Amino acid sequence: MIRKEDVAAHLLLNPELATRVLASFIADAVKTAGADGVVVGLSGGVDSALAAALAARALGPEHVLALLLPYKTSSPESSSDADAVAKQLAVETRTIDISEMIEAYFDHNEQDAGKLRRGNKMARERMGILFDQAKKRRALVLGTSNKTEILLGYSTIFGDNASSINPLGDLYKQQVWQLARHLELPRSVVDKKPSADLWPGQTDEDELGFAYPTADEVLYLMFDRGLSAKEIVARGYDAEAVGKIEELERRNRFKRRLMLIARLSSSAINLDREIPRD
Amino acid sequence: MSTQITVGIAQIDSRLGDIEANLEHHLDWIAQAREANVDLLVFPELSLTGYRLLHLTGQMATKPGDSEAVRRLLTATGSMRVVVGLVEEDENGVLYNTVLLLHSGAIAHSHRKLYLPTYGIFQEGRFFGAGKQLSPPVDGLGLLICEDIWHPHLARGLALAGAKILVVSSAGPGHLGSGEVPASQESWEALTRSTALVNTCWVVYCNRVGWEEGSFYPGGSHVVRPCGEIIARAPFLDEHLLITEIDIREVDRLRWRLPLLRAERTDIVGA
Repeated sequence: MIRKEDVAAHLLLNPELATRVLASFIADAVKTAGADGVVVGLSGGVDSALAAALAARALGPEHVLALLLPYKTSSPESSSDADAVAKQLAVETRTIDISEMIEAYFDHNEQDAGKLRRGNKMARERMGILFDQAKKRRALVLGTSNKTEILLGYSTIFGDNASSINPLGDLYKQQVWQLARHLELPRSVVDKKPSADLWPGQTDEDELGFAYPTADEVLYLMFDRGLSAKEIVARGYDAEAVGKIEELERRNRFKRRLMLIARLSSSAINLDREIPRD
Repeated sequence: MSTQITVGIAQIDSRLGDIEANLEHHLDWIAQAREANVDLLVFPELSLTGYRLLHLTGQMATKPGDSEAVRRLLTATGSMRVVVGLVEEDENGVLYNTVLLLHSGAIAHSHRKLYLPTYGIFQEGRFFGAGKQLSPPVDGLGLLICEDIWHPHLARGLALAGAKILVVSSAGPGHLGSGEVPASQESWEALTRSTALVNTCWVVYCNRVGWEEGSFYPGGSHVVRPCGEIIARAPFLDEHLLITEIDIREVDRLRWRLPLLRAERTDIVGA
């Protein structure tokens, strides 16, 4: 039987091997697509820093463009941390402020929208810019969503969860931190509280109501090992947190299956005809 | 076949659904192996087509006797024995995950995969028919494909029928843990080593490298002595031609003092 105190050890990776494999994923995907490199939105957080570092290692820094896409309320540390990462990796950066685009929509049409809708719009605006910049450079958009946030649905659909390729989608948050430390990314980035920075003072853990290590372990037991919520609680995890995690995972499944097509023929795309993209 | 032979493992990447490109790749590697005086060259499972074909499987189908690609491979192999993987179509239109043994301008042997994994990321049972017979070894060579070796009676059957070298062509995807090598490799080595030991056979395990749709193949191809010792291993993740000298008589010498096969019984009630 797997015990609570042993779960964290199951999430440890061999960081050098994992880094090498993920870098080879990026190199292979760029080559297969016939692209010239990747663009990545650098937020100042650990996920995008790790994705950019893997890409720089895979392709050489000259094939990576880091885009800083701040909004007027974005924390100043976000952009200084993003700069520090770009500098360390020697990748080119470009800053495009999205405030005007966001205001243009809300001020003229939807003055009453709350912070969640505004935050979603920002995430989608950034996605739109990333794909446009990728088109301009014949590049792929590098995804930065990790396994924890994908499973919890802690993302904006067609916003930050949209990408051409995602090297981090099978890494729990602990594993992102482990690889970021291994690659010696700036301490200020690795050690800070995770935040989507969609409004001042926002942190992931406050908004979710549980800590990442708990989420990672509960999701690992649930998703990777197939334990029921009851069996997880019996191992000593907080019942309320387990309940919330289970509910989020179930409620947000739609975000991980992006095209829901109504099947009329017997040759529906992706249902009857699964054609590999590679 | 001589008792001292040079085995080459072609740990290659294949382009999914591109037989033309893969054929050229095979011809390059066959030429390299001939330069190195390889006697037996092994390519991975579905090496000519790529592995995760899904609904492209039918488009890749060939009847080996009529296939231009097979004809070109036969011309290139000369006196070397070469094992390649492809999608075979039979006279009824059923598709098989097949390996061919090419030798001296002819198809000397072929094996249709007997166990089609259809769980987890594997979907073979949707697209392929399962082979129906374990073909006896030819010149002491028994052929298996990937999942086949996870069902130990097949290797046993080949060994009892005279195999001294078990050739396992694979497209085994990798997964990682905290170890120095992919966690998937630990399972494979447990399996290939125990298969070699309990059957007192050489095992030549060829796994591919590269990525298909977000899933990677780690390579880690290797050769196991009949006593279960790994004597050569290709690196992880990179294409590699692994060349190993093997002594087939080692099988006989081991069997004289470890007569597991000779002692095999089929008369035990309930076993």
